[in-house]
Amino acid sequence: MSLKKLLKPFKLISIAHKSGVVTVLYPYQKPLITTEFRGKISIDATKCMGCGACVNACPPNALTLSRRDDTIVLNYFIGRCIFCGRCAEVCPVGAITVTHEFELASASTRDLNESLVHRVEKCSGCGGGLGATSRMLQYVILRSPASENYVHLCPNCRKKKLIQSLAMKMGARTEDYEG
Amino acid sequence: MRVNPLKKSIWVFHLNTGSCNACDIEILDALTPYFDVERFGIKLVASPRHADLVLLTGPITRKTLPKVINALRAVPRPRYILAIGACAVGGGIWYDTYSVIGGVEELKKMLEENGIEIDKIVYVPGCPARPEAIIYGVAVLLGLVEQKVHGEVKIAE
Ligand code: SF4
Ligand code: SF4
Ligand code: SF4
Repeated sequence: MSLKKLLKPFKLISIAHKSGVVTVLYPYQKPLITTEFRGKISIDATKCMGCGACVNACPPNALTLSRRDDTIVLNYFIGRCIFCGRCAEVCPVGAITVTHEFELASASTRDLNESLVHRVEKCSGCGGGLGATSRMLQYVILRSPASENYVHLCPNCRKKKLIQSLAMKMGARTEDYEG
Repeated sequence: MRVNPLKKSIWVFHLNTGSCNACDIEILDALTPYFDVERFGIKLVASPRHADLVLLTGPITRKTLPKVINALRAVPRPRYILAIGACAVGGGIWYDTYSVIGGVEELKKMLEENGIEIDKIVYVPGCPARPEAIIYGVAVLLGLVEQKVHGEVKIAE
């Protein structure tokens, strides 16, 4: 029994010798990153149209959409992101890519915010805010070409236009509306 | 002469404030021989009184809040916190739940009210944060590396 105890350190040394060094020398050695690894997302400012589909899909609301005067701001708070990749899945124009970036430590939460500012289109009838960006309008027109006639109008102007065309059909004259 | 403790080995205290344990497993992973943070002199201690740095995980539930404040009060100055995981940084998936206070940002305000000063907080996002990300966070805290992320505002033309 005591001999067994005495020999234990040698046994451990032989085991250690067999398994070798396992430590990953992280900053000097590349960490293991598979192709499926999900890190921080990156939003392509040349593709995103500010539709907010990603905001709806984001479980912890790391992505938020806010409307200020004539801008739509898409904000990404990395600190709350759980790197699930749902936003990249739902984005209709494929503006979001999941990168392999994980070295995100930061001394302030302000550095963990990324924003993308969109300008809101104006209604071509009354000049009021339309609530959509020009890329959203282009996207809609591409999907349904018939919408090109009214997509640049705000709901109020659309109503007016509809009533006007109905009235014209029923015999009203153009002068009644332009006066 | 004032000794800068961060010039020496830093001792860490692991403070779970109601996390799902994934971040804690990653911290344990960082402490194992596989990542071997003792290479950098980082050592786990059992009491906050011995710690230079608190590894804080979880969104700080209301139940743990008094204990978290007590533990942080016991840490000698200068106090450093490494907020690990989406939960600790911004409340994560639970950020607006009734039972949590929503991360270290909120905790900081409460600590200020209680007269407990925190000298530096470094945020490590991730759910869970990888062991490498935690090591990188400590390196950012010590000023060994420049932080990579900077908040940016892009304009869609
Ligand atoms: S879903 Fe895509 S296009 Fe829509 S706001 Fe998000 S990133 Fe932009
Ligand atoms: S990866 Fe998940 S948590 Fe992060 S922004 Fe996208 S949807 Fe939100
Ligand atoms: S950040 Fe994610 S992995 Fe870490 S404790 Fe919170 S839910 Fe769990």
